[in-house]
Amino acid sequence: MGFSIIWYLREFIRGEWLKNFFFAKTAPLVDPPYFRGYPALTGKECTHCLSCMMICPTPGAIEVLREGETWTPHIYPGHCIRCGLCVEACPEDVLDVGRVLETQHRDQTEISVRYQVTVKPEACVRCGNCVVACPVNKEADPQLGATGTSANDEVIMKIRNGNLWVIHDEKCTGCKTCEEVCPTDAIAIARVAEGTQEGKA
Amino acid sequence: MIHEDMICPFCGCLCDDLVIETKGTEVVRVDNACTLGSHKLMNAGKHRLKGPIMRDSGQWRDASYEEAIEYAAGILLDADRPLLYGWSSTQGEAQGTGVSMAELLGGVIDSTTSVCHGPSILAIQEVGHPGCTLGQVKNRADLIVYWGCNPTEAHPRHMSRYTTYADGYFLENAFRDRKLILVDVRKTETASIADEFVQVKPGGDYAVLSALRAIVRGREDVVPPTVAGVTKEQLLRVAALCKEAKFGALFFGVGLTMSPGKYKNVRNAIELVDELNRHTKFTLTPLRGHYNVYGSNEVFTWMTGYPYAVDFSRQIAFYNPGETTAVDLMARKECDAALIVASDPGAHFPKKCLEHLASIPTVLIDPMHTMTTPLVKCQIPTAVTGMDAPGTAYRMDGVPIHVKKFLDLGYPTDTEIIGKIFEKVKEVRHP
Repeated sequence: MGFSIIWYLREFIRGEWLKNFFFAKTAPLVDPPYFRGYPALTGKECTHCLSCMMICPTPGAIEVLREGETWTPHIYPGHCIRCGLCVEACPEDVLDVGRVLETQHRDQTEISVRYQVTVKPEACVRCGNCVVACPVNKEADPQLGATGTSANDEVIMKIRNGNLWVIHDEKCTGCKTCEEVCPTDAIAIARVAEGTQEGKA
Repeated sequence: MIHEDMICPFCGCLCDDLVIETKGTEVVRVDNACTLGSHKLMNAGKHRLKGPIMRDSGQWRDASYEEAIEYAAGILLDADRPLLYGWSSTQGEAQGTGVSMAELLGGVIDSTTSVCHGPSILAIQEVGHPGCTLGQVKNRADLIVYWGCNPTEAHPRHMSRYTTYADGYFLENAFRDRKLILVDVRKTETASIADEFVQVKPGGDYAVLSALRAIVRGREDVVPPTVAGVTKEQLLRVAALCKEAKFGALFFGVGLTMSPGKYKNVRNAIELVDELNRHTKFTLTPLRGHYNVYGSNEVFTWMTGYPYAVDFSRQIAFYNPGETTAVDLMARKECDAALIVASDPGAHFPKKCLEHLASIPTVLIDPMHTMTTPLVKCQIPTAVTGMDAPGTAYRMDGVPIHVKKFLDLGYPTDTEIIGKIFEKVKEVRHP
C-alpha cells in the first residue's frame, strides 16, 4: 500500500523536504550581461532624422513624437521585439539597450542606408495623404502639412500635373509613414541598408 | 496662363488650392487636385455640345439658343405639373432663379438631394444638426469617424485637407494624435488606414448605432454579444474611443442614408452624437457628393423654407418628401413636363421613372452628352461653373465659396439661360 494517505503524509511531512521546498537556494534573478530590454533614452538630443523608424522591422513599435520644442522617440513595448536595430541606426546615440552602443563604439560599426520611393500611378488616387503626413515634407513646407497646398519644391513628393511626383527622394529618411497612410498601397519605400565598419568594406 | 487658388468643381470638398495652367482653351496642367478633380479639369473644354439640339421626328437637329429657350418656356407654361429637377452641379445664382421660376409656374422644384442626403435633412429637421465647419475638425478633432462612406474613392482629399492627416492647430503631433474609425458594410481602401474598422452587416447600421448609444449611456448590459455582425467587445472599444476623444467628428455618406432605416439611421447617428456630447465634444457632418448640392439646399431653404422637393402647386411652398420628390413624381407619372438642370437622372433613376421622363416633353440644361440626353426632347449646353463660369457653391459644411472661371469658351451660364427662360415665362404668367 505504498500509495495510501499515510504514505503521502510520511513522504511529505519531513523536515528536510519542507526545508528544501520553502528555502531552496537558487541563483538570484538578474539580467545576464548580454540581455536586451526595451530601448531607453540616453538623454542625448534627438534630431528627428527618423532613422530609428526607418530601420524598425515591427509595425507600430516606434514613433518620434514632438514634446514642446524637442523630439523624442517613443517605444511601444507591446509591438517592440527588442532587436536593438533602432539603437544601431541612430546617428546621435539617443537610444541604448543592452550592450548595443558599447559594441558599436568598440567595433566602429554603423548602418548606412539609402531609399527609393516608388509610386504606382494606376493605384494612386492623389488623395495627398502621404504628401501631408510625411514628416520631412512637414519640415520642408509647413503649409503643405497644414492645408495640403504645396508652396515650394523642397519636399520629397507632391501632387503636380495630375500625378504624385517624387522630386527629392534623397531627403527620404525611410520612416515609411507614407506607406502606412496610403489607403491604396500605391507608394512604397525600398530600403537598402548596409552595415559598415570603419576601415573595412 | 497660370491660374492660382482655383476651386475644384467636383465633390463637396470644394478644394480651393488648385493651380491650373491653360493654353488657349486647353488645360495643360492641374496641380494639387485628386484624380477625380484633375480628370474633370484636364478635360474642361472637351466633349462639349456645340450648341442646343432638338428632336425632330426622332432625329436630332441643331437649334439656336433662342429657339431652345422658347421651347423650354413653352413646355413649362403648357404643363399642369412641371418638374424642375437637378441643380446640384450649378451655381447658386441659377438655383435661385430656378426657385423663382418654379414658384411662378406653380411647379415642383427638387434637387438631387432627394436621392442622396435627403434622409439626412429629414433627420436634421427632427433632431437638429450638431455640425461645425471642416476647419474646426482640422484644427481640433482627435477622433474621426467615417460611417457608410469611402472618402478614399469619393472625396480623396478629405482626409489630407480637412481631417485625419492635416496638421491641426491644437494637435502637437498631427495625425499621430488622431484616431480614425471606419464603419462600413465592406472592407474598403479606407479600412486599411483606419485604427478601428467596424464591419456592419448590410442594414445593421441602426442597431449598431443604438448599441453604441446604450453603451455611452452606461447600459452595456442590454447589448447582446453581437450586434449586426459587430462584437460587443468592438462596440465597447469604439464607444470608449469616442468618449475618450477630446473632439470627435462623425462623417457619414450614402451608405447610412440610403440603406434600410434611411433617415432613422441618420437620426440615430445624430442622437449618438448628442449622447457623446455629454462626455466630450462631438460633431456630425454629411459627406456631400456634388460640389454644390449643399447649395441647392441652402438656396431652396432661404427662398422657400424647405431644402428640396418643394411643390408650388398650392401657390404656397409645400414639402412632402416621398410625394413631392422627383422619383415619386415620375413613378406616379404625375409631372407632364420637366426641366433637368446640371444632373443626370438618366444614369441614376429607376427604369419606371425614366420611361415616364422619355414620354413627356423634357429640356436638359447640361454642357455634355449624358445618359439623360437620349431621354429628352431638347438639350441646351451651358458653361460649366468653376471652369468657364464663375458662381457661388456651398462646401459640404455649409461654407459658401466663390467658384472662379479659367476658360472662355463662349457658352452662356446656367443663370443666363434659366434667366431667359424665366423672362419668357414672365411674359405669359405675371408675377
